[in-house]
Amino acid sequence: MELLTHYATTLVTFDNLLMLATTLGIILLIAVPVLLGMAYTTWFERKILGWMHLRHGPMHTGPFGLLQPIADAVKLMFKEPFIPGASNKVMFLIAPMLAFIPVLVVWAVIPFGENPFTGSLMVLANINLGVMFILAVTSIEVYGILLAGWASNSKYPFLGAVRSGAQMVSYEVSMGLIVLAVILLAGSMNLADIVNAQKTVWFFIPAFPAFIMFLVSILAECNRHPFDLPEAEAELVAGYNTEYSAMSFALFFLGEYVAMITMSAFTAILFLGGWLPPFDVAPLNWIPGTIWLLLKIIAILFFMVWARGTLPRYRYDQLMRLGWKIFLPLSFAWLIITAIAVKLLGNLAA
Amino acid sequence: MLPDLIFALFATGILVGAGLIIAARNPMLGMLGMLVTFINAAGLFILFGAEFLGLLLIMVYLGAIAVMFLFVLMTIDLEFFKLREKPKAYLPLGLLTVAVLAGEFILAANYGLFSTNVTMLPTGEQPQNIIQIGNVLFTTYVLPFQLSGLVLLTAMVGAIVLTHRPRSDVKRQSITKQVLRTKEEGLTMTKPKLGHGTGTNVAKHWKPKSVAK
Amino acid sequence: MEAISQLIVPNPYLAILLFVAVSVGLAAALQAVPFLTHPMRRSKEKISAYESGFEAFDTARRTFDVRFYLVAILFIIFDLEVAFLFPWAMVLQDISWFGFGSMMLFLTVLTIGFVYEWRQGALEWE
Repeated sequence: MELLTHYATTLVTFDNLLMLATTLGIILLIAVPVLLGMAYTTWFERKILGWMHLRHGPMHTGPFGLLQPIADAVKLMFKEPFIPGASNKVMFLIAPMLAFIPVLVVWAVIPFGENPFTGSLMVLANINLGVMFILAVTSIEVYGILLAGWASNSKYPFLGAVRSGAQMVSYEVSMGLIVLAVILLAGSMNLADIVNAQKTVWFFIPAFPAFIMFLVSILAECNRHPFDLPEAEAELVAGYNTEYSAMSFALFFLGEYVAMITMSAFTAILFLGGWLPPFDVAPLNWIPGTIWLLLKIIAILFFMVWARGTLPRYRYDQLMRLGWKIFLPLSFAWLIITAIAVKLLGNLAA
Repeated sequence: MLPDLIFALFATGILVGAGLIIAARNPMLGMLGMLVTFINAAGLFILFGAEFLGLLLIMVYLGAIAVMFLFVLMTIDLEFFKLREKPKAYLPLGLLTVAVLAGEFILAANYGLFSTNVTMLPTGEQPQNIIQIGNVLFTTYVLPFQLSGLVLLTAMVGAIVLTHRPRSDVKRQSITKQVLRTKEEGLTMTKPKLGHGTGTNVAKHWKPKSVAK
Repeated sequence: MEAISQLIVPNPYLAILLFVAVSVGLAAALQAVPFLTHPMRRSKEKISAYESGFEAFDTARRTFDVRFYLVAILFIIFDLEVAFLFPWAMVLQDISWFGFGSMMLFLTVLTIGFVYEWRQGALEWE
């Protein structure tokens, strides 16, 4: 009891409470735009896909269908949740949360650029191992899908989940190797240092093959077209989320789209100079860095939607072949080439 | 103060997770307990300033090893294992493990390897332990490093020897073969007369069932 | 924003811990919403497993292809390889060519394993 009062009096101070409040404020300042951005990514995707198909996409809710994501969210909130009788109920409910939490947590370390007024870095947690943090946390994502498939105790979700797990795991290796090549170039694992190292040249130019492989890998990692076999509707109905409804389904959806935005931000930081303008000249560097980062994220999201609008779905054996027999050796070779070049010529650290 | 509380949080998490692993009837729930344990252990590593090891724990144990466990649990028939439950048979082995572990802990405590003071939170700015590890791992400790490479090689070969069964009853796609196929192999050009077919083998074996009149 | 986060949030890992707490809370809250807004009306057909309109038969939990397990094991090995590469990549500029060579030897050993599994057809899917 003494200990408790001791803790209470020393911990609950004005400074600590202020710290807690500001941290929570910053967290909301990051999480709310990310979630809104996710909602509008669905709108963006439907609109772009619509235009690619010579349709309009959503257009009846609000001007240009801009209220569509909100209508969808409200609808999903009022849908009936149901839990299949044969399922494992606890895990059936935990799985969608596990699919959503890691992709959101990644945003704790993403730097948003320099503050236009003070010139300091805008980031919640500026840690030295930012890159590793992202790789570690995104590797947890796979649990949500695997558990969903198992807990549903139904055949389509099970097949979709096992496929998805093997697929995400296969591309994680080459992703790790590609990221290592970037770390070698920048000489640091701090995301802000990596961006600052790109002041002379964005890394997608010296590391072009790695950039292309990374773009394809993030498509596979996010289970996006043309690698969306886990939810191939023609063979697996809807894959791991077949049995889900209402907000549990929405959480998988949230997880998938937030993962897309997260991976786009990661790509922008690793290869496209993060918040740096393309050229450090007068009209371009007036625009705040955060806007540049946002534009780059949108460009990569557009690439993802474009791939969905253009390409047919891969077959599963082709997908595994691409991951293990092509990307793995290539990214490996690229890493060694980069290592030799960096050892001989030095890195690009700012 | 605050580090103490966070330590208590993670330590409780580890105990709860470990308890779940042992007590859960459903192996999948035990698996979930394992995840809880790993995450909290990673939290402890980070709390003690070893943020590289903490993240590595998440990446390797949580992101890879536990995924393999999950695959195994998903792809075997769990009912099958319930039938063979004989907890008493494992009792001596379990007691032995407990004794060895307890002995180790007592020895370590006697040599003062346990510090009871958790005074610092990692700042992210201190000397990075990833660089400290890197500076010695590849030069001073080169032999253990190379040996670990051999262990990984053994694991790779062992996994293939144990689980890989080449299947002969399936048709595989050979992309090289497909691409290198020539026109001569796949195509015969003929100039058939009306009503006589192409005159190639395919046409000889093909007989119309009924001729339309 | 960093001016604030540097002064008042002294510790990035503490901030991450809070972020995790907020995400978990958010996910749990979202998960709870439909249970409050809509009553559960169960019926036999609704809670049975979806099988494209056919009667559900048999459980989905049965033995499955061991190949997926092999993929997971190979992934562990390559993930460990990446784990060894992280510190190496960070100190590449500082260590001697001996350190560089020792990593190359390590990678060669693993490449032998990779070639072996390729030749054995462990990377084939059908």
